[in-house]
Amino acid sequence: MMSKALIPLAVSAIVFFCLAMSFAQEDHARLDNYVFEKPAMPPALFDHDAHNEKAGIDDCAICHHVIENGKLSEFETSEDRPCVECHGLSPSAENAIALRRAYHLRCKGCHLDRESGPIMCGGCHSRGV
Amino acid sequence: MDALAENKVRIPSMAGSSAKLQAVDAGIETGLKGLTPAKITEVISRVLSAETGARLMAYFSACTHCGLCSEACHFYLSMDGDPAWSPMGKVKQTLWEMVKKKGRVSPAFIQRAARIAYTECNLCRRCSLYCPIGIDVAYLLSVVRRICHALGVIPLYLQDTVNSHSATFNQMWVKADEWVDTLQWQEEDARDEIPGLRIPLEKEGAEIMYSVIAPEPKFQAGLLYKAAVIMNTAGVDWTMPARPGWDNSDMAMYSGDFEIMGRLKRLYFETAVRLRVKKIVMCECGHAFRSIYDTGNRWLGWRMPPIETQHAIDFYHELLEKGRIRIAKKFQPLVTLHDPCNMVRGFGLHERARDVVKALCENFVEMTPNREYNYCCTAGGGVINCGPPYKQTRMLGARVKALQMQTAGAKIVIAPCHNCHSGLEDINQHYRLGLHIRYLADILYEVMEKPGAKELSEQEAA
Amino acid sequence: MHELYMIVSGPMMWATCVVFSGGVIYQLGRLLRLLLRKERSLLSYMSLRYSLRSIAHWIIPFGTLNMRRNPLITLVSFSFHICLLIVPVFLTAHVVLWEEAWNISWSCLPGPVADGITLVVPAACIFFAWRRLRRPEVRFVSDPADFMFLVLVALPFLSGFYCCRHWPGYEVVMIVHIVSGQALLVSLPFTRLAHMILVWFTRSYMGSEFGAVRHARDY
Repeated sequence: MMSKALIPLAVSAIVFFCLAMSFAQEDHARLDNYVFEKPAMPPALFDHDAHNEKAGIDDCAICHHVIENGKLSEFETSEDRPCVECHGLSPSAENAIALRRAYHLRCKGCHLDRESGPIMCGGCHSRGV
Repeated sequence: MDALAENKVRIPSMAGSSAKLQAVDAGIETGLKGLTPAKITEVISRVLSAETGARLMAYFSACTHCGLCSEACHFYLSMDGDPAWSPMGKVKQTLWEMVKKKGRVSPAFIQRAARIAYTECNLCRRCSLYCPIGIDVAYLLSVVRRICHALGVIPLYLQDTVNSHSATFNQMWVKADEWVDTLQWQEEDARDEIPGLRIPLEKEGAEIMYSVIAPEPKFQAGLLYKAAVIMNTAGVDWTMPARPGWDNSDMAMYSGDFEIMGRLKRLYFETAVRLRVKKIVMCECGHAFRSIYDTGNRWLGWRMPPIETQHAIDFYHELLEKGRIRIAKKFQPLVTLHDPCNMVRGFGLHERARDVVKALCENFVEMTPNREYNYCCTAGGGVINCGPPYKQTRMLGARVKALQMQTAGAKIVIAPCHNCHSGLEDINQHYRLGLHIRYLADILYEVMEKPGAKELSEQEAA
Repeated sequence: MHELYMIVSGPMMWATCVVFSGGVIYQLGRLLRLLLRKERSLLSYMSLRYSLRSIAHWIIPFGTLNMRRNPLITLVSFSFHICLLIVPVFLTAHVVLWEEAWNISWSCLPGPVADGITLVVPAACIFFAWRRLRRPEVRFVSDPADFMFLVLVALPFLSGFYCCRHWPGYEVVMIVHIVSGQALLVSLPFTRLAHMILVWFTRSYMGSEFGAVRHARDY
């Protein structure tokens, strides 16, 4: 009984793991930059939970937002979709904000607004470790 | 590239003491007596504000003080790289300070500035080929000369020629009757060789007005003779003015007395108009060409000379090319050619000069550097006209020129310019080079066919 | 740090842009005004063909006699000027800033290349300073400002290199980097660094006089 009950749990764990793999490398300390061809810098340091706890961010939509007809959707969020789905590698007619710019505006922009968090290259794209 | 570096035969430099050479010059001494600091400041400000503009501003704002102009200058090279002789070095000791201090400089400064601008730069523009920015250092030093002129601090000998220009419209106090006498004397002599030869005076409507500079009637009358033979043999419809306006030399251009320069050039062009000629042909003189083609015409408001003006090099080229002069037997000894700054950097006649030389001479060798890059004769720009007080400096500054001529290996140096001719002759004697400096006309006269000429006896020819 | 960064990258950057472009316009205006008021006749000697001939010879390495005579200076000067212009424009970190602010973007220098050529500039400055001190003809025409300009030019590149390596304390150096770059831009139109603007005119004029009037080479 016990083992049968564990199967769906194990499957969903594996699925989750695979999904997680596609968004982040195994150590969650850095963002996954697989979509960038020949990235110029190391991926940004980012520990999702620690960051949000420290920054006091509860609202997923701050980052994982969904824009519909030019408006921020009130109910929908996009944790289940890779950013690149909307923010292409280069600006397009549908979305003028390319992926790299989206990341920079999102992270650095917020850090500047709150006067907290890294604002210079090395703060996130650390060459160490 | 530089003769100085390549040359095997060393001519010792005497540059060590040269920077301290102090000439005694009555013109400069007298001028200094009348100076007060207030007058100096007033004159400098006036010249700078009234007569300079975008060029001066751009040159001073853009000069990066890189020193790359230095090796262009024969004075700098001859003085063993003493920086006080480099083009920008000379500007630094003169105009640079005047501009920086807004004209507040001492009489002693003006004395040094006058010496540098008048006697230590030939305005030959070789440094214009070396400056990456495109700064015309010769222009900057002529601004200094203009200031010194306005202050009345001018080398005596140079001012004397300007006075002569002012009083007689020629450079050498040649009197009106002396001029006509000399032409008639040369005509008479030449008729012994070519019967029927004429030096047509005041012939209105002639095709060509031939003009010379005052040193020709004064002490090189033979050149008038040779010119007459060339003109008559080629069957040129020519004339020479009998009245003032015949001399196109212009030391006022070099002393900074542009007002007199303007008077000279106006009379000169008006003489050509009076004679209703189609064009002016001028003798082998460089600065005179600069004065009518580049400087004087502009002062008068002519973008280009109002009447076509042809230098002797170009004129001989035309006569030879059209077959109006034929060569009997080419000149045999090895010759080399000195490119005068005003004919080459001033008018690009270097290839034509070579064509003429090769048409006349069997054996020609280049001196190095040549064409636009040729070293200055160290006499031009009015420097030789500043006279004996500065001759020693001029000879020291010509060391690289002496080396260059010596290295070329030819004993005969053709210099199609009066100033160059005299300068090179001084160098030849000072450095005991054993050269013969010749005009193109000398050689052309010697080798040309002279149909109808009487055979001269050896004695007469000599 | 945030506040400081905001000030230097915001209002100070705007001020720099205004002073720089204003200075360039002012200098060009002054040149044009002097030309029209006092030396208008010079305009009649200007020739496009010979201006371009002159500029072409002087912009191509070893295109002139003096460059061929001084190969080392030619190499250093050309590397210096090329890197001076390329690095700030094509460095990834700078392109990202343009992208953030204006949503415009262009290709970037690969990191190692950028690192290498960034150092060319201060290295050339050291060479120039050495030459200025060592060669009498250059020392004679040098004044203290000439050495200051070399420091002024080298500083943004040295500090920029430091920041690129994320060496310790680079955040402070970054502020130095931005401010020194701004100082360079601000001083450009008003000092002899203005040769960047004026050289095109002086060369064109020399080229025109030599080519169209004097029928001779000026290179």
